[in-house]
Amino acid sequence: MSSHQFRGRLWRLCQKELRETLRDRRTIVTLLLMPLLVYPILSMALNRFLLASGKTVDGFTVCVTNEAEASRLDQWLSDPRSVPPQAILDASGGEMAKFQVTVIDAESSETFEEAVRSDEIDVGIQIDELDGPIPRVKFFAERGDANSQNARRILIERLEWLRFASVEFVLKRISPNYSEPLRIEVVDVGEVQSRDLLATIVPLVLVLMTITGAVYPAIDLTAGERERGTMESVMASPVPRGYILLAKYAAVVTVAFLTAIANLVAMFSTLWASGLLSLLTGESAFPFLAILQILTLLVLFSGFFSALLLSLTSFAKSFKEAQAYLIPVMLLSLTPAMLSLMPGATLQGAMAILPLINIVLLARDTLAGDVDAMGAMAAIASTIAYAAAALSIAARLFGSDAVTRTSEKSFGSMLRRPRQISEAASVQAATMMLAMLVPIYFLVSNGLIRFLQQIQDVAPIEVQLLFNGFALIMTFGLVPFAMAWLERNRIKTTFRIQLPHPTAWIGGLLLGLGSWAFAHEAFVIADALGIGGLSEEQVEKAKEAIDRMRTASPLVLLAAFALTPAVIEEFCFRGYLFSSLQRVVSPFRVIVITSLLFGLFHVLTGNTLLIERFIPSTLMGLIIGWVAYRTGSVLPGMLVHFIHNGLLNMVLYYQEKLDFLGAGFDNQAHLPPLWLGLATVLVLAGAGMMAFSKPPQPNLAIASS
Amino acid sequence: MLTVDSLTKIFPLDDGELRAVDRLSFQIAPGEVFGLLGPNGAGKTTTLRMVLGLLKPDGGYAEVEGFRTAEDPIAVKSKLGFVSASDGVYPWLTVREMLVYFADLYAVDPQLANARCEELAQMMGIDSLLDRRAGSLSTGQRQRVTLVRGLIHDPPVMLLDEPTRGLDIAGVQTIFEYIRHLREVGKAVVVCTHRLDEAERLCDRFGLLHQGKMSHTGTLEDLQQSTGCEHLVEMFIELLRS
Repeated sequence: MSSHQFRGRLWRLCQKELRETLRDRRTIVTLLLMPLLVYPILSMALNRFLLASGKTVDGFTVCVTNEAEASRLDQWLSDPRSVPPQAILDASGGEMAKFQVTVIDAESSETFEEAVRSDEIDVGIQIDELDGPIPRVKFFAERGDANSQNARRILIERLEWLRFASVEFVLKRISPNYSEPLRIEVVDVGEVQSRDLLATIVPLVLVLMTITGAVYPAIDLTAGERERGTMESVMASPVPRGYILLAKYAAVVTVAFLTAIANLVAMFSTLWASGLLSLLTGESAFPFLAILQILTLLVLFSGFFSALLLSLTSFAKSFKEAQAYLIPVMLLSLTPAMLSLMPGATLQGAMAILPLINIVLLARDTLAGDVDAMGAMAAIASTIAYAAAALSIAARLFGSDAVTRTSEKSFGSMLRRPRQISEAASVQAATMMLAMLVPIYFLVSNGLIRFLQQIQDVAPIEVQLLFNGFALIMTFGLVPFAMAWLERNRIKTTFRIQLPHPTAWIGGLLLGLGSWAFAHEAFVIADALGIGGLSEEQVEKAKEAIDRMRTASPLVLLAAFALTPAVIEEFCFRGYLFSSLQRVVSPFRVIVITSLLFGLFHVLTGNTLLIERFIPSTLMGLIIGWVAYRTGSVLPGMLVHFIHNGLLNMVLYYQEKLDFLGAGFDNQAHLPPLWLGLATVLVLAGAGMMAFSKPPQPNLAIASS
Repeated sequence: MLTVDSLTKIFPLDDGELRAVDRLSFQIAPGEVFGLLGPNGAGKTTTLRMVLGLLKPDGGYAEVEGFRTAEDPIAVKSKLGFVSASDGVYPWLTVREMLVYFADLYAVDPQLANARCEELAQMMGIDSLLDRRAGSLSTGQRQRVTLVRGLIHDPPVMLLDEPTRGLDIAGVQTIFEYIRHLREVGKAVVVCTHRLDEAERLCDRFGLLHQGKMSHTGTLEDLQQSTGCEHLVEMFIELLRS
């Protein structure tokens, strides 16, 4: 088929998907009705929010009962002595809240209360004994109304400043020895954060609404196709699955994009009409260019999220099942979305590559006209990469025979041991194992951290280290072994326990001796690139921990941080998961997937995310994964892992004694070139030994099944 | 024209495995209607899905006009027409749009597709429905649309899976006429059904499928001789008892 015919056919397939989607009333609801209804309501809420924060254009409404009171209040408020000190003004953006003083025809205090309650006014003021020596000012404010409370607070503060300045003036005159009790000085640190909450909320809402627009067509064009009974006929046709999926993808992206346009137009029109736009952009002109830029970002985001949705809905057999898959994803999307609202969140480092959050931050910066080029490029490139990855998963799942038939498995059957022994874990069991490992690991590692903090002063360091090893066994060891038992997997083949060719041991030894240096360099490079580098506080803590470790025996240290992880983690990643994945994907993908999982689990530590560990751990995973593939066994990988961890720990342990070898053994600096050269030779020699050792014996009949 | 040789499909179960189709073999010539008969769960639909390339066989092969499903699925699929009782329609598309879409999936030139659409719609008596939304059609009308859809690319081999399920007498009659038409124009036809009385009137040859295995195959006379029973229904009861 020529490229012209291909395009023509693809276009016709897209037309069909679009026709089907756009004629559906439910699409129209999310596409048009939602933006028309949501934004006016949102605008009202925003108005209220801004009023509550004191950011009003016209100011607070203050009422008094007669002209004389109004005149006195005006006089007080225009008195320079009632202006707060500069330090306070600076803290509130250098602006003073405005007050509109009006006279209400009130004869009793009840009328004031009613006016405040009905939000006609923010604060009511009654001044008794206006012409007496001490006028008494009485405030009427509503308890549950943030706006009223703000007006009351600011007004009282203004009057208090006036009172204080008057008193001080008198004091200075009558008492020559009067000295101020204290003086205040403010030192500002950090950079000015010009972006405010509203500038983040706007792109966030746009992104969330775009998601909403894509959800329905994604489900309808995939799971809906199964439910209608048209999937089988489509799959029976000679058109490649990829074409059909591409047409569906184009339709979902189009609808998502149309939703984005409808939302963008509706939102900015509402903001403009309600006078909030100037607060957002700081200018009175309509920001056409910024809107165009945001629209481009939304195209990118639609492309990414539509692919993600299709990869999930392609797996579902029905509308209901697809919705069940999407709800957690939608909730999960809220987490990065909320992260973008964090004060001080910038489009740098890890934030630039975190999906969803990076687009929200980039849109925010675009609106503010302050875009960091590197961050923007990282955000765009990573989003395109995620979209491509999600689309390739969708292409694999869409219409696959695995989901054509209904699974025989029930929840109960997952807990029943099968009668027959299998050579490796099923992919479902491996996924289940990973799903269980995350919360168990979270609980165990957090529990361990708390426990170690408690026993820190009483238990010797060796005991603490042994607990570390024990925690690893209880998680990465116990969970896969329990799952293997439950699924009646043969231990030898599932965990790939097989004696390798003798050259593999030598290759493993050399790789282990050389690879630690590259892991160290990867860590240093990641730190330099700002991908989750350690803060000074973290470095200090790490140094403290290392100092404590130095009091332990090096053998215990090796057992806890080298031997146990080498054995347990290898059984888990290059054993259980590796053999399971080998049943369904190519060796290359097995290595990549297990390495990414290995890297991700190293990021999860206790209740924090050690992002700086991702790149070195994933690289290490790739090396050991390749070794595991070449040798057909988990054992040489254990050797590489043990030597790698052992050397890293020993370098830290004997750091001071190694100073004579040159700078760089400090955790934060590059290694000396000589050492890197030596490490390269070792790694190349090790890799050579592996490459020339016997090719893998598929110990695994499973490899071909 | 269609050859199925030792075709096997095994589904893993919690406590072992299910041989849904076990070394099944048969051949069909052009202009011949072959009835693949068996009770529910005998493996009829699984067989058709393997021929269509929707399921990967665990053994054996299916071959259409010299192309094997496992080796050249695209070539095989383009020579097969498929109609199933569970076939759905796109409710928001018109009948014409849907038929032209399927023609496109089979790489039929759009102009030719339109002409074929008119011709087949007239033959099946749905020409007045062509511009109606498919969602507004009755069950019988939908069935006629799916019959037309199966023929839109003029395939040499037609696979019909329980085509009469859920239809009234008029609907069943339409299917009979359709199958006769297929025979007349020289198509090789496989009809999967558990309606044995219908099959007896329609098919030239039969394959009796039980628990994934072909127990008997041949013309009605062949089967009568080998089983000693007169009608397919009796043969089946015997088969189930055994």
